[in-house]
Amino acid sequence: MLPRKLICTLIALAAAVPAHAGSLMLGTYPDKLFTIDDQTGAVKDKIALETGLPVSLRLSADRSKIYATTITTSGVIVLDAATHKILTQFALNTPTEKYRFNGGVPDPTGRYFYTVLMRIDKQVDRYVVSKQQFAVIDLVAKKVVRTADLEPQDDALAGGYRAPMMISPDGKTLYLFKNKVLLVDAASLKVVDRIDVEKADATGYENVAFGGGIEGLQLTTPNQLVSMFTADDPYVHNKIFGIGRFDLTARKFAFTPIGPITNQISGLEVTPDGKTAYTVATTGMTGNKRCEFWKFDLTDLKLTDKQEFHCRSRFTLGMSQDGAKLYIYGASYDIEVYDAASLKWEKTWDMAADATMAGMIALQ
Amino acid sequence: MKHLTPLNAKARRISADLAAQEEDVVALQQAPRPHVPLGCSLSFSPGWEVDATGGTAGLCQPVERDLYDCYVTCFWPVQVADHVNYSPDWASNCAAATKDWRNLDIVFP
Repeated sequence: MLPRKLICTLIALAAAVPAHAGSLMLGTYPDKLFTIDDQTGAVKDKIALETGLPVSLRLSADRSKIYATTITTSGVIVLDAATHKILTQFALNTPTEKYRFNGGVPDPTGRYFYTVLMRIDKQVDRYVVSKQQFAVIDLVAKKVVRTADLEPQDDALAGGYRAPMMISPDGKTLYLFKNKVLLVDAASLKVVDRIDVEKADATGYENVAFGGGIEGLQLTTPNQLVSMFTADDPYVHNKIFGIGRFDLTARKFAFTPIGPITNQISGLEVTPDGKTAYTVATTGMTGNKRCEFWKFDLTDLKLTDKQEFHCRSRFTLGMSQDGAKLYIYGASYDIEVYDAASLKWEKTWDMAADATMAGMIALQ
Repeated sequence: MKHLTPLNAKARRISADLAAQEEDVVALQQAPRPHVPLGCSLSFSPGWEVDATGGTAGLCQPVERDLYDCYVTCFWPVQVADHVNYSPDWASNCAAATKDWRNLDIVFP
């Protein structure tokens, strides 16, 4: 039998250990991915990338792999989500060919990576610049294997090649979130439908804030995507925001209006149980800017709480994998941690390296 | 419409305007918006001295907090080195611009 004193010590130690520690992964300057303990804020891994500066990060739908892209040499990196080891990395650029793309989405098999890019060819007397193109990158052959030019009406939409992308679980339909949502047939790379709603902007950020990743686009099931969207009514064009849900396989979209739009509203961060979501709403500009966390009940689609906080000029909203903490990060070397229940500031973690616009992913 | 010929000045201006949209040279506000794939020469944002209203309250504090994202996206091309084309190693010795900006490389145009 254990001595009573030892039992008390073990109980005290157990209480001091967090119930479930996870990791966060962020891109940092100049060329690394950091993993951070989401309980202590300690930097655990510093993963150097051969292809340069990371600009997008996303998890595969089954959460087994991490996909990152880099801007320096137009690189694509695939990591194992459990071990954080690099499985493959390569650069698309050559001395005479350059590509510009930000992020993208892997297909369900993990063999191909869909993106929107431009290609620049250096010729003897000039550079030849392609139109914006849907493109398929073969992660085994390590090259672009298919492209299709965007039609002018789609190219004209705001968002450019930095627009976030999603894919249906069957791999047949791509979703491109510009200031319309484009539904793209993955086989032909042709736009088959356009939905006239716009994904809400991230707070204090340009469109580039989304980095081609999926910050603010949350999968509540493998087939259902939920996020904040803005829309106009067809009569007086009053701009409103609401919560939109996509059935990715059936290509169905349901939009529930909530209220008139503020200056800016970020995307949603949804808790693992799919019942609660958080966003940041901004009113005013520059010196008069005020930021609030907004908490939503996703069952009733109602705003249940709000709390003002001191916000940076530019930032991105993130969430821990258990939904207990909210993070404000970006345009800096630190992460501000807020308690999701009370919406109050708790602490600030110093990473000693600036976060890139690749966004943040929460890992187990 | 190709069988129609503009007869007066206004019709010729409309015709010229439509033809201009087919050309390589386009206005920055024109849709589809032109892309700037090769460098930063067409960005005219003022810089970190003032924000969009002419004041400083909307800027990152200190300005170094925002230095790197502008370095990558060419947001302040006059003040910040260009990561994509000319200075990919500018920040290689400096992970946190606010803390160790003295380690930034010097760029000679």
